[in-house]
Amino acid sequence: MSAASDIATAPLPQAPVAGAPELPDVIAPVKPHGRGMSFCLRHPTIVIGGGILAVMILIGVFAPYLGTVDPTALAPSKRTREPSALFWFGSDMLGRDIYSRVLFGTRVSLLVGFSVALLASVIGLAIGLVAGFLRAADGVVMRIMDGLMSIPPILLAIALMALTRGSIGNVITAITIAEVPRVSRLVRGVVLSLREQPFIDGAVAAGTRVPMIILRHVVPNTLAPLTVQATYICASAMITEAILSFLGVGTPPIIPSWGNIMAEGRALWQVKFYIVLFPAIFLSLTVLAVNLLGDGLRDALDPRLAKKL
Amino acid sequence: MDRRKLLKGMASTAALPAISRFPSPALAQGGDARTLRFVPQTNLANFDPIWGTQYVVRNAAALVWDTLYGVDENLAPQRQMVESETVSEDGLTWTFTLRPGLKFHDGEPVLAKDAAASMARWSARDPMGIMLKGIQEELVAIDDRSFKWVLKRPFPKMLFALAKNNAPCSFVMPERIAKTDPFKQITEYIGSGPMRFMKDEWVPGARAVFAKNTDYVPRNEPASWLAGGKRILVDRIEWIVMPDPATASAALQNGEVDWWENPISDLVPLLRKNASIKVDIADPLGNIGSFRMNHLFPPFNNVKARRAILMALSQEDYMRSLVGSDDKLWRPIPGYFTPGTPLYNEEGGEILKGKRDLDGAKRLLAEAGYKGEPITCIVAQDQPITKAQGDVTADLLKQLGMNVDFIATDWGTTGTRRAMKNPPGQGGWSMFHTWHAGADCINPAAYTAIRCNGDNAWFGWPNSPEVESDITAWFDAKSLDEEKAAMRKLNKDALDFVVYAPTGFFLTYQAWRKNVDGVVKGPLPFAWNVSKTA
Amino acid sequence: MGFYVLRRILSTIPVMAVVALFVFSLLYIAPGDPAAIIAGDQATPADIERIRQSLGLERPFLVQFGDWAWRILHGDLGTSIFTNLPVTNLIAQRIEPTLSLMLVTLILSIGVAVPLGVAAAWKAGSLVDRLVMAFAVFGFSVPVFVIAYLLAYVFALELDWLPVQGYTPIGRGFWPWLQNLILPAIALGAVYVALIARMTRATMLEVLQQDYIKTARAKGIGQSGILFVHALKNAAVPIVTVIGLGIAALIGGAVVTESVFVIPGLGRLTVDSILRRDYPVIQGLVLLFSFAYVLVNLLIDLLYTLLDPRIRY
Repeated sequence: MSAASDIATAPLPQAPVAGAPELPDVIAPVKPHGRGMSFCLRHPTIVIGGGILAVMILIGVFAPYLGTVDPTALAPSKRTREPSALFWFGSDMLGRDIYSRVLFGTRVSLLVGFSVALLASVIGLAIGLVAGFLRAADGVVMRIMDGLMSIPPILLAIALMALTRGSIGNVITAITIAEVPRVSRLVRGVVLSLREQPFIDGAVAAGTRVPMIILRHVVPNTLAPLTVQATYICASAMITEAILSFLGVGTPPIIPSWGNIMAEGRALWQVKFYIVLFPAIFLSLTVLAVNLLGDGLRDALDPRLAKKL
Repeated sequence: MDRRKLLKGMASTAALPAISRFPSPALAQGGDARTLRFVPQTNLANFDPIWGTQYVVRNAAALVWDTLYGVDENLAPQRQMVESETVSEDGLTWTFTLRPGLKFHDGEPVLAKDAAASMARWSARDPMGIMLKGIQEELVAIDDRSFKWVLKRPFPKMLFALAKNNAPCSFVMPERIAKTDPFKQITEYIGSGPMRFMKDEWVPGARAVFAKNTDYVPRNEPASWLAGGKRILVDRIEWIVMPDPATASAALQNGEVDWWENPISDLVPLLRKNASIKVDIADPLGNIGSFRMNHLFPPFNNVKARRAILMALSQEDYMRSLVGSDDKLWRPIPGYFTPGTPLYNEEGGEILKGKRDLDGAKRLLAEAGYKGEPITCIVAQDQPITKAQGDVTADLLKQLGMNVDFIATDWGTTGTRRAMKNPPGQGGWSMFHTWHAGADCINPAAYTAIRCNGDNAWFGWPNSPEVESDITAWFDAKSLDEEKAAMRKLNKDALDFVVYAPTGFFLTYQAWRKNVDGVVKGPLPFAWNVSKTA
Repeated sequence: MGFYVLRRILSTIPVMAVVALFVFSLLYIAPGDPAAIIAGDQATPADIERIRQSLGLERPFLVQFGDWAWRILHGDLGTSIFTNLPVTNLIAQRIEPTLSLMLVTLILSIGVAVPLGVAAAWKAGSLVDRLVMAFAVFGFSVPVFVIAYLLAYVFALELDWLPVQGYTPIGRGFWPWLQNLILPAIALGAVYVALIARMTRATMLEVLQQDYIKTARAKGIGQSGILFVHALKNAAVPIVTVIGLGIAALIGGAVVTESVFVIPGLGRLTVDSILRRDYPVIQGLVLLFSFAYVLVNLLIDLLYTLLDPRIRY
């Protein structure tokens, strides 16, 4: 799944010349588009995706003030109640309020999504740059990345989670490790194609030091595809978190996360469908919002790629 | 009109006419009345009933291997493979004679040397067997049909030890297999039981297949649990492993399987609505939930802290979270032994009864010197029973003002972690949850978790000479009254010392389709005398 | 060409060595102990220690790894700690369901996605296009187990058209085999359909603007002829690439799908083995998966030469 969403954005590999996808050459500088309405009209997906996401962030931040109760408070005598005025989304097997759990769960999904996107981008960028510029390191680093990539990301994350005790930090680490190889491949691809560009040769000839070249020419050119990639990683990380929790190897179960709520309701889906339904709606909606945002950003930041997809 | 009919109606009239021609899967798959499809509680991951002691292994093994004795539904040992036994005047020499005509699945006759070798292997691993081995003088075959077991001191519970249904049971294997190191797995699954194990069809994690042993000669008595005539009325039994209860429930409703060992209680109303499904209690002996504390380290090395837990914990909360909304499935137990069995008593159980006293518990904790040290709770998430208990415990300890370090993990890791004697902060633990089958808790014979012999005790390492002497008193008891007296004292002393905190007694359901007949209640799913019509 | 294939095959060896060492060391430092799991709930610490010794788990890391690697080179993947069966047997038992699931998923996904993508590209900007694209975004966003349960609820439980669970070997007939795979394949395929439909649409849009398509139109070739013969043929390379890259996703998704639909495949075996810390099985499976991934990508590279004669090695 995680691989799927980033393939969608990964630039189209034309021919498998060196295993490196050919990237859009130098990306045209992003021009500030028209303001207000015209931007909205041109990029409806950004507006819709960004809007839903903003609502989710607000829900996460203000969860304690939205009529919620302690999401972990038990009341076994009031278990599995259907949605009602008392329990807006019903209560679960331990009598906990699902509405409160779902709202607080927003925090976990967003935290995992954003952290993984950020960490995977930064680490992937660093590895990709090293591999792209240091011929000596390239072989070893990319073999390791190839090795990691050949293990399905969900299995890799499950294996990593089985090693450690369940914590949100470990979930983030495990998913990040599974996502890094793809980012580093993307960055390495950009670097390799940039190295062929005359202006890099020019800079080298002019005696510019490599770190300077990286900072001035390479990093800016990776930003656009990296940003787009990061949104897709964010979406896939949220789904992976849910899957890990669903399989029982994710976020610690005393923390209400959407995956945990669904995992707990999983056995009862035939009789108490609402336990699974509400977190599933929130999860799908949030992932949808991030994906829409990603599509919009790709259109906006990368017109050449946008024309293709 | 229910949704099912509505949807069906819609489908047959207009929507997707092409697809509605699909044959109904129930018809496509359910026709074979000679094959019983059974959903076991969990995966049969290994199949050496002496080496591995999980309940699921024992349940499968009971089909393939026969035992010398078997308990009946009154928990009384009855002869099974044995025709007769004698015990010498001094109680030291037991002589057993096998029934004639017993045969292993490979066609070889069952000889006394096979039984003796099997008992030797069993006694290396079974708690009661280990006691026997400790006082054993000699265990040898006399001739083809009889063997003797000579002891250094009398062991009045001999027949119960050989008949009990707690794992490991005293299964009889051919001598060459029984000679396997008891700590290594056997690789040949040949017994003399009523079914053969189809090793080639075994897909661990998915299915296990048993075929009727046509050479089996059942006893003439009516079957009663592990005793009596084990008549197999189908040709094949297929165990289909379904880790997800929702899927198992759907499969049972659709007739894709015939018998489900452990439906969760929340799904039972749904199953009851289905006219072709029957639901009943699985094991009348039920289970006892356990909140097990580490007696070696603060705060639970102090008996006051352990008592604080007993004062505060609500067995009702634990049981409802564990078994669901069905009140017939659980009862509070102010003690450690299985309700409804002869030796059950509630001596000293006041601390678990009545309104829960959180303030009193907090005071006791303070007296015990608890100052907010983290309580390392190890909670296995892959077992519904430990998971539900862990959630309640986290809430309980929070209410007691304790600092909870909740370690969510799997059952395997719990197994390793709980064996650590390090302090809780350094790889050790403060408490974990488990459960004990009621069949194990009818008396101290196989009840490892009640032992208080310190370093040699079960995890948590409780050390109480009083409790230990009560257990010895039970073993030495010569009459039921003596046994009862010993057990009353044991229950009281164990509660005073808080060997562990019992979280309640609970039952589970089993469900089967109505074309299956002969399913009984018992500590394991007995497949003999179960028949199926098309 | 032959030299290229040989070089590619040789280059997979270090990759798989990296995988092997990585997974072996990860699981070695894992906290769970198979001996404790095997011993059961009533076991004493001494029992557990004896079992650990009999399994050879007390030996140093390098000794265990070296022993394992040496036997791998002799075609022996070892014996499962839990079942005492050879790992190769366990894998062989499980490979048919997983391969079947993937095959049906692939056929289904391609069969649905390519026409959708072509239609969207042909009618770019129209309602059809928007619907297809909207469906694609949904396919990415709804978790596979949610789709799986919805499908099972409607088609198996309510309508009773298809079985809820299980797997029937193809040896017992094509239809019984297929009917167990339809729902899982749809659930697993949703992401794949989304992916391939998007990729097809994108490449088709580009191809349709090429000069030779305009020429073809000028020559009076019919619409379907243009779409399916000329344009799609040229769009095949990136589509095939996506299919290859998606294999890892497919294996990952199979884990969840197999556990929801109780399919006795490799995915469930992997999760079970990881949770039980059945080291030999995990190691064998990970090697197999990375081998499959590498192999599929190798085959796809070779396929390029057939699809696009311009590519030469």
